[in-house]
Amino acid sequence: MAHLTTAFVTLVTTDSYCVGATAVARSLRRHGTTRSIVVMVTPNVSEQSRVALRNAFDEVITVDAMDSGDRPRLSLLGRPELGITFTKIHCWTLTQFSKCVFLDADTLVLCNVDELFERDELSAAPDPGWPDCFNSGVFVFRPSLHTHACLLDHALRHGSFDGGDQGLLNSFFSSWPVADISKHLPFVYNISGNSVYSYLPAFQQFGHSAKIVHFTGAEKPWSSGYRRDDGRSHFMEHFASLWWKEYLSYSTSPPPGKHIRQDPEEPQGFHVMNSPSRLICYSPSSSWQSAADADTEQLEHRRRWEAGEADYLGRDAFRNIQKMLDCFLDSSSQ
Amino acid sequence: MPLARSLSVTSLSGLEEWDEEFDVEDAVLFEIAWEVANKVGGIYTVIQTKARLTSEEWGENYFLVGPYVESNVRTQVELIEPTHPTLKRTIEKMNSSGCKVYFGRWLIEGSPYVILIDVGFTAWSLDTWKSELWDLCGIGVPWFDREANDAVLFGFLTAWLLGEYAAQCDEPPHIVAHFHEWLAGLGLVLCRQRQLSVATIFTTHATLLGRYLCAGNVDFYNKLSEFNLDKEAGDRQIYHRYCLERAAAHCAHVFTTVSQITAIEAEHLLKRKPDIVTPNGLNVKKFSAVHEFQNLHAQSKNRIQEFVRGHFYGHLDFNLDKCLFLFIAGRYEFSNKGADLFLESLARLNYLLRVNHSDVTVIAFFIMPARTNNFNVETLKGQAVRKQLWDTAQTVKERFGKKLYESLLVGQLPDVSKMLDKEDFTIMKRAIFATQRQCQPPICTHNMLEDSSDPILSCVRRIGLFNSSADRVKIIFHPEFLSSTSPLLPMDYEDFVRGCHLGVFPSYYEPWGYTPAECTVMGIPSVSTNLSGFGCFMEEHIADPSAYGIYILDRRFRGVDESCNQLTSFLFQFCKQSRRQRIIQRNRTERLSDLLDWRYLGRVLLQIPKDYFCSCKNFRMT
Repeated sequence: MAHLTTAFVTLVTTDSYCVGATAVARSLRRHGTTRSIVVMVTPNVSEQSRVALRNAFDEVITVDAMDSGDRPRLSLLGRPELGITFTKIHCWTLTQFSKCVFLDADTLVLCNVDELFERDELSAAPDPGWPDCFNSGVFVFRPSLHTHACLLDHALRHGSFDGGDQGLLNSFFSSWPVADISKHLPFVYNISGNSVYSYLPAFQQFGHSAKIVHFTGAEKPWSSGYRRDDGRSHFMEHFASLWWKEYLSYSTSPPPGKHIRQDPEEPQGFHVMNSPSRLICYSPSSSWQSAADADTEQLEHRRRWEAGEADYLGRDAFRNIQKMLDCFLDSSSQ
Repeated sequence: MPLARSLSVTSLSGLEEWDEEFDVEDAVLFEIAWEVANKVGGIYTVIQTKARLTSEEWGENYFLVGPYVESNVRTQVELIEPTHPTLKRTIEKMNSSGCKVYFGRWLIEGSPYVILIDVGFTAWSLDTWKSELWDLCGIGVPWFDREANDAVLFGFLTAWLLGEYAAQCDEPPHIVAHFHEWLAGLGLVLCRQRQLSVATIFTTHATLLGRYLCAGNVDFYNKLSEFNLDKEAGDRQIYHRYCLERAAAHCAHVFTTVSQITAIEAEHLLKRKPDIVTPNGLNVKKFSAVHEFQNLHAQSKNRIQEFVRGHFYGHLDFNLDKCLFLFIAGRYEFSNKGADLFLESLARLNYLLRVNHSDVTVIAFFIMPARTNNFNVETLKGQAVRKQLWDTAQTVKERFGKKLYESLLVGQLPDVSKMLDKEDFTIMKRAIFATQRQCQPPICTHNMLEDSSDPILSCVRRIGLFNSSADRVKIIFHPEFLSSTSPLLPMDYEDFVRGCHLGVFPSYYEPWGYTPAECTVMGIPSVSTNLSGFGCFMEEHIADPSAYGIYILDRRFRGVDESCNQLTSFLFQFCKQSRRQRIIQRNRTERLSDLLDWRYLGRVLLQIPKDYFCSCKNFRMT
């Protein structure tokens, strides 16, 4: 139970971000984390959404929204909605845990990242826009009421140079760029999902070893405005589709009489889902329902083909493929 | 037995009388292949040579569809506005939906229209389309197989094109889509799945699995019916490709291959018997003078003889007029192409010629590109020495001629003993000394990178044919394609073939076999096998092929040793022919060229759509 004193923490301040938070929790689970996964929610998040979050998270903790009220400076960034992220510093009050890893709700975990707990406060990856600042989408911290108080004080006195939590945290942990290299997380722990990279060759070389993808920017994979366009690289499309797979793969209630396959490393007592209606509360469109029919099994099956591991002596034998072909050949001849 | 120069069309099996009722006016033919205006392998030659006949037949309604590759387009395609209004709308619609589709004329004989699709431009759809493919057929495509991913994109784009075209037509259209090879096959499957009103033809030129199995040295043709296909394909990591190929063969309205032997292969490896065999043709050059090709043979032969004089300098103890040039050419696949069998037979032939005290010398050329670092010094020196002797002879001739002229001017008959002076003899002696040579004439014209492990050289060492003067069979291995700019043998392939006496292609795996076909249209006899498409075709259509200089080796029902004996006896018989007999044989061989002309063979292909529309008149109604 020693592990339970450490946790992954994320934050939801609106109903729409619940979608992202759920994908974060599921990706962590699927990659077999042994730590707790908790979500902080602000009071404005609907009760239905909280019910849904309880299915995905070990704990749902309500915190007070803390708006920086610094609208002029936030509008400089063109991101007035960021103010609410000041709520993030409430995570230091989670003193029931000895150490935590904070993950933004717009991230996606691509493999097991439990090794992050070997790092100390405050470990984070550089921000691609200004690498002397860390990006506050992924960071390791030690909950402490003292630190929390200092942060609040710092915020009140100095504000935040970008109006959001990242500016605040970077000015508070100002020694990060120069002090201890072990607190610099490799960039693969926080790859900005939708920025267009100025260093594309490096991305093509190392992008495949990404561990955590961060869909920064106003448009998220789940938002209706999110479109494929030429500005985004092929790899980024790939990550967005991974996000969808992660999301859709666990969004199905098991058919009657069929047990859902549980990840062997999943903690006992965790039930993937028991409330089919849960989805409705944050589905922007009903088409998700039909898409959600693709079950894990199918995705895993396809993944094996795409890894060159088709079960050609078993279920993937050509006679089975031919049956599928014959379905449409027969219907056309009628 | 003479053969009529114009063959009756009905002598080809599976071909019915021309159906005049069929109205081509409102029908369109799309021919879809990855090698349209994009040379990767042999399919390019097939499509490029066939285009002339097809566009003569279909005119403005014939479109080739291929991938857009900028470097190829720059050199072979003239981009123009689409001429056909329906097609213009189709392309505009696609381009406005995020595709890049180009239209142009392919600058080859017949200058057919081409539609070129930029596959990379639509790569962002790959995952969506792969999901669709997965949902439709349960075939997944590994992300690391670039070609297969291209095949997915190309397949979806071509199906889109055909679907859009059908939608843009005012009346229910007659569309025929002819797909070549597995790379284009997915488009066919999608046409069927989307129930487009398109008649589909799938042609496979070889099967994926066949090539792999043959290269793997299994007893291929005897085990054809025994292979566990899924396992063989899966074990070789080509399962997804094999599935795409087999799916296309399964879904096509008409399935064709290029030869009987490939038909047998397809029947077992793709589990569908081809409906029609459509042999590949050539565009046969017609000379106004019937014997022009014999003159060309003599010209080219002289050039080869010159090369041989240089190559064997110091060892020219054989009569060049009694020297026969044999050759094998092609990709360097030692056993698939039958180079092993050829070498072994040459060793046996050498023995036969020696014990029979034959005055014939055989020089066998191996034209198969391998890794080299340029020509070897000895070979180049040979040509230089020959050149020097030639120059010396010219110099002496000049001086001789001048003296002769002077003596005639003064009205005297020349005194022959004084025509050459001491200086002339010195020049000549020096030149002769330069031709002395300690070593044997080289086997290989180049420095091989993998000399010790090279299969041809290893085999030559084993059988001991080292071009010694006692050997009646000499070997020259030219591990590079021929070129008219080479300092060694400045001839292009066509001229070289014309100058040889016999092409030897004892292939084990050869779905069609353009090399013996090319020999035939140039009037050069050849040896092929009943495992090559060409051999099967000739066996089927000619009563006594060997009378026409088409020797067909039985490799299907005989062991290697027996085949080897058979090849040896073919070669020995050939050596025993007189010059006159060889000339007659070449005339007969050349007469077969009509049989290999696209004008004749292409009719089988052109007939398919007509038969198809006639047989399903209800096709459009439903």
